[in-house]
Amino acid sequence: MHKLSTKKALIAFVIFGWILVIVADRVDELRVYQGATIAITTLSIASIILLTGYSGQVSLGHGAFLAFGAYAAALAQTYWQSPFWFTLLVAVMVSAAFGFILGFAAGRLSGPYLAGTTLALAVGLPTLANQFSFLGGETGLVYDAGLPPARFGEEFTLYKWFFWIAVFVVLIAMFLLRNLLNSRFGRTWKSLRANPTAAALCGVNVAQSKVMAFTISAGVAGLSGALLGMISIVAPSAFPLSLSFTIITGAILAGVTSLLGSMLGAVVLVVIPEIADVISHQLGDSEKVVTNLPGFIISVLLILTVLFSPNGPAEAMRKRREQHAKH
Amino acid sequence: MRNLLGTLLIGLTLGSVYSLMALALVLVWRSTRVVNFAQAGQAIVTTYIAYEIVTRTGVFWLAVLFAVAAGALIGAGVEYFLMRTLFRHVDEGPVAALAPVIATLGLLGVIRSIVGMIWGNDFRSFYSPVSTDNFVLAGETIPFSRLNLLIILATVVVMIIFSIIFQRTDLGLSLRAAAFQPEIARLAGIRVGPIRTLGWVFAGVAGAIAGVLVTPTTILSPNSLDLLLVFGFVAAVIGGLESLPGAVLGGLVLGLGVSIVLNYVGTSLVFPSIFVVLIISLIVRPNGLLGNKKVRSA
Repeated sequence: MHKLSTKKALIAFVIFGWILVIVADRVDELRVYQGATIAITTLSIASIILLTGYSGQVSLGHGAFLAFGAYAAALAQTYWQSPFWFTLLVAVMVSAAFGFILGFAAGRLSGPYLAGTTLALAVGLPTLANQFSFLGGETGLVYDAGLPPARFGEEFTLYKWFFWIAVFVVLIAMFLLRNLLNSRFGRTWKSLRANPTAAALCGVNVAQSKVMAFTISAGVAGLSGALLGMISIVAPSAFPLSLSFTIITGAILAGVTSLLGSMLGAVVLVVIPEIADVISHQLGDSEKVVTNLPGFIISVLLILTVLFSPNGPAEAMRKRREQHAKH
Repeated sequence: MRNLLGTLLIGLTLGSVYSLMALALVLVWRSTRVVNFAQAGQAIVTTYIAYEIVTRTGVFWLAVLFAVAAGALIGAGVEYFLMRTLFRHVDEGPVAALAPVIATLGLLGVIRSIVGMIWGNDFRSFYSPVSTDNFVLAGETIPFSRLNLLIILATVVVMIIFSIIFQRTDLGLSLRAAAFQPEIARLAGIRVGPIRTLGWVFAGVAGAIAGVLVTPTTILSPNSLDLLLVFGFVAAVIGGLESLPGAVLGGLVLGLGVSIVLNYVGTSLVFPSIFVVLIISLIVRPNGLLGNKKVRSA
């Protein structure tokens, strides 16, 4: 595949961001909020793509790292009164530190062991919030980005401000991630996934590279978690087990090896609840259906994708192209 | 002294339930090399079925019977329809090794949302079949009730039945052979396919019993068994994912550990300590207490 040079990619990112900002001016509040959600989900899916698609490790509990990031950012804001940009930095650092610890154990684990360990983390973590009072219990902590600067005028709503911040941070992070994955590190991780033994023979330090992938992935997840906390709340209910499932589904749907696909996955994930709303309206708006239908659709999509196109639609299309080329 | 006795008895009760869940995970792992995260979902379905029967008829044993039958059926169904399709379709590519794990995760999501659609997400209480009043021993109450006793006894009975099947019957021999060396077992004339399904059936039964036993001590909701799944997984890892006695031992060790933390440290540290135990046991004894020496790989 043809790859853009770094300079051209930078220009593409800037133009894309500009278009988003212009579009955001012309749509209603709900769409702006959904746009922010898509941006944040894209980033959390990207963290899985780095981890699973590149380094070949699996995490069923990446929601836990989003929670680490969100709580770290909220704590930094509540107790240190840190400026907003600094809380994001704290989110990345704290989450990456936890990722480093887990990655250290993970480097020695494979497949199901790692899956189970990360799942255990995601199941157990929300129970902690109720045990320590400084975490704010079920109601959680307050975390926000402050009001939009006055010079943007009265028209400039809070959600638009959130959207700007989310898009700005996510675009920068995605640009850095893209460069990282195209660098020596990205290639090293790919070699780990393809064949660890061969990679080791070529002089790759397998354990170290795996830990590094886990650490960076956790840091990225933490950043997206802090942003998620900004647009919603920082409480156990914001980081349920289903969040981890959702992120994985997005990554698998997107084709777990393509960073660009993460945006597609995020769009699908945000659109599904809308579709589910329409369907449950048709079915008579029973509360049980309304709350459970989105999860049902997402899980079914996950199973179907794993069964019939496990490497994602992008990979399947590439395979077909290659087969065409052969004939 | 009283405190110590209470801690031991609670540990034994918790350990019994963890062992059953661990047993379910190990049985599936041995038969298909998959950690079945959907086990929590399968067990929640059977527990809701038991709940319906108990609330309608009031007969606990009938409910257990139906739960066990449903557990066996669901286990067989999942293996036959999902796992076989999966192994037929997925052969190579970046996620091939992870596909089974992700599929069971998806299944957990599907089951949970279906259960939510049928019964709703609110908490229900599952009435205990026997008294939950604590026993009084020599004038002192000990934190141990008839329900706890029932849990331990039922687990022991299940374990005895399972070990007779596995150690004393031809069927058990085939199960062990198919788990140990599927290719050679096939060459020796064992029909590995149906034997695999049978592994899932036994796992479904163990999970169903665990769900029915543990739910009267807590509450019932579509995700109320998630923590049990995690405890079962940790127990299975402690014991070595390969070994059935290991699963039981791991469950008991974990149960006692949790009970000690609960009694002497406090609720707040149960989960962190479990997680630390899991990480340490994976690093120090990756093959588990009773696991074999084979390297752990997917």
